[in-house]
Amino acid sequence: MTPRQGNRRLVPAYLATGGRARPSRNTFDRLSLLQHAGMPVTSDVRPEEHRILELLRPGALSLAEVAAHLHLPVSVVNVLVADLVDAGLLHARVPIPEAEQLDRHILERVLDGLRSLKS
Amino acid sequence: MTPIPLGLLWCLSAGTAAALILAASLVRVRRQRAGLRARLTLCEEQNTASLHGNTELTARLRATEAEIRHLAGARLPDLAMALAHPHVPVRGLLDARFAGSETDHALTAVLEQVSVAVAKERRRVDAAAQSTLRGATTTIQALLYQLQTALQDMQHRYDDPNVAHDLLAADFLNEQALRRIQATGVVCGGWPGLTREDSYLAELVVGAASRLRGYERVQVSNQLRDPVAVVARAVEPVAISVAELLANGLHHSHHELPVTVTLQQGNRGVSVIIDDYGVGMHGDELKLAKRLLSGDEDVLLTELGDPPRSGFAATGQLVRQYGFGVHVEPSPYGGVRAIVYIPGDPLLTVLDESRKPMSVMAPLPRRSSGTQDRSSTALPTRPTTPAQEAVPAAETVHGTSPPPAVAAAPVEQTDTPDRAGLPRRRRREPTTEFEQRPPHTAQVPPRSPEESASRWAALQQGTESGRAAAHSDPPRSTEGNPLS
Repeated sequence: MTPRQGNRRLVPAYLATGGRARPSRNTFDRLSLLQHAGMPVTSDVRPEEHRILELLRPGALSLAEVAAHLHLPVSVVNVLVADLVDAGLLHARVPIPEAEQLDRHILERVLDGLRSLKS
Repeated sequence: MTPIPLGLLWCLSAGTAAALILAASLVRVRRQRAGLRARLTLCEEQNTASLHGNTELTARLRATEAEIRHLAGARLPDLAMALAHPHVPVRGLLDARFAGSETDHALTAVLEQVSVAVAKERRRVDAAAQSTLRGATTTIQALLYQLQTALQDMQHRYDDPNVAHDLLAADFLNEQALRRIQATGVVCGGWPGLTREDSYLAELVVGAASRLRGYERVQVSNQLRDPVAVVARAVEPVAISVAELLANGLHHSHHELPVTVTLQQGNRGVSVIIDDYGVGMHGDELKLAKRLLSGDEDVLLTELGDPPRSGFAATGQLVRQYGFGVHVEPSPYGGVRAIVYIPGDPLLTVLDESRKPMSVMAPLPRRSSGTQDRSSTALPTRPTTPAQEAVPAAETVHGTSPPPAVAAAPVEQTDTPDRAGLPRRRRREPTTEFEQRPPHTAQVPPRSPEESASRWAALQQGTESGRAAAHSDPPRSTEGNPLS
């Protein structure tokens, strides 16, 4: 995962998020699938967010792939992606797990969620 | 004839002779006395004169002693003070009558000798201090770079938000420490401590800003037409200079005010224009800054104040060694405008963006901000052309003038592209995006959480009503069956 460029980095990763590494939502992991929402890009989008949107314009990529393309740590890209999802510019989807990976715990949580929708 | 007169004759002649001798000697004595008296008067006169001269000499000696005491007690301390603080005046002679005399020359020579000796000693001590500091900073800098690498590796290794947050904070602290150490090292005559490869100017400026507390206030506007890069050997020096100038801007303006940076491309080089909206600098500070920035003279650590303000001094050293230019002037906005001019000939190059991609954090140039996918439409050409034409026109006027005059050129340039470009782009961008987007949005219909919730709620209500109708109370496990 570590991008091993021959040279020392000039721009540190914390600049992308202003030092934040705690995303606004905790729902993504390395395999979360990201997709461009097709919304128009407004002028207040920062350069790094712009690059993510450019990267995802042709199709969906996983969070880890986006991080590798941008040479940024996954944790930092996670924050950026969470911001973009909040702004409605990206769609994110948890990876569709294999059938045998479904465990009882998750199903029960889904069920609890469905139940809570009633009220 | 009696023999008597013979005896008498003898007596008489003897007496006459004696009288003659006596008379002669009397005359001689008298003459001698007159001579002696004259000599005595002369001597007395001489004596008075010498006594008089003696008193005068004593007075003069006293005055000279007083003058020497004055030299030791007042003029030398004044000189020592004046060597440290140039505005302190050195007192002159105590007695103005000495002016131009041998004493004056001698005393002035003493002062000169002392000042030369003190200056030499100061330079020696300063050089010793500088070499000590240089050694220390080199070691510390190397260690901090190792720490930077370690932190960077850890950032890529750990995804946990809490760990990552702390790692980013540690990285930032490390960058700040590096900047301080590096600037101190440069002031002490060290080299920047790091050679990079050719790097984009936009990347470099953002990287420089990232070394400072309050970097989020730095707003970089990229007006470069080409992907301009700084050649390897000058990357770190320019980055240090930009970081120091930005640090001044950030430090001397309110913590809610931005510091704007404009990257402006000219005919012969590129300027980085840093504007702050802070308190500004007064005449003395500007004069000192200009003196330090010219890099003409060696800097003494003792000149930099306590705590030493190394920014301008470090920049001045780098300016002298690497041949770019830094200019500081009062900004028309009330703060300070600093301009780093990088001449194209030895220090700039253009890189291929497809071979060496720019860092994602680098500000996008005006031309490519969202225009790439709209190149098929005729719209984006219009807003960009006036801005692009205006720049070379203004630059050619200044192209013939010496490099420092470039400072004047960007003043109007920074304003015009912004005013001409931004409102149009904002107005037109949504319409073009919407024209293009509909087919894409139709393929992937976004589903809002509320929509999903209402669908699932409807499903559940339907299920419940069906179950209620069948009067059955199914166990929880069967409820999950349709899902799996």
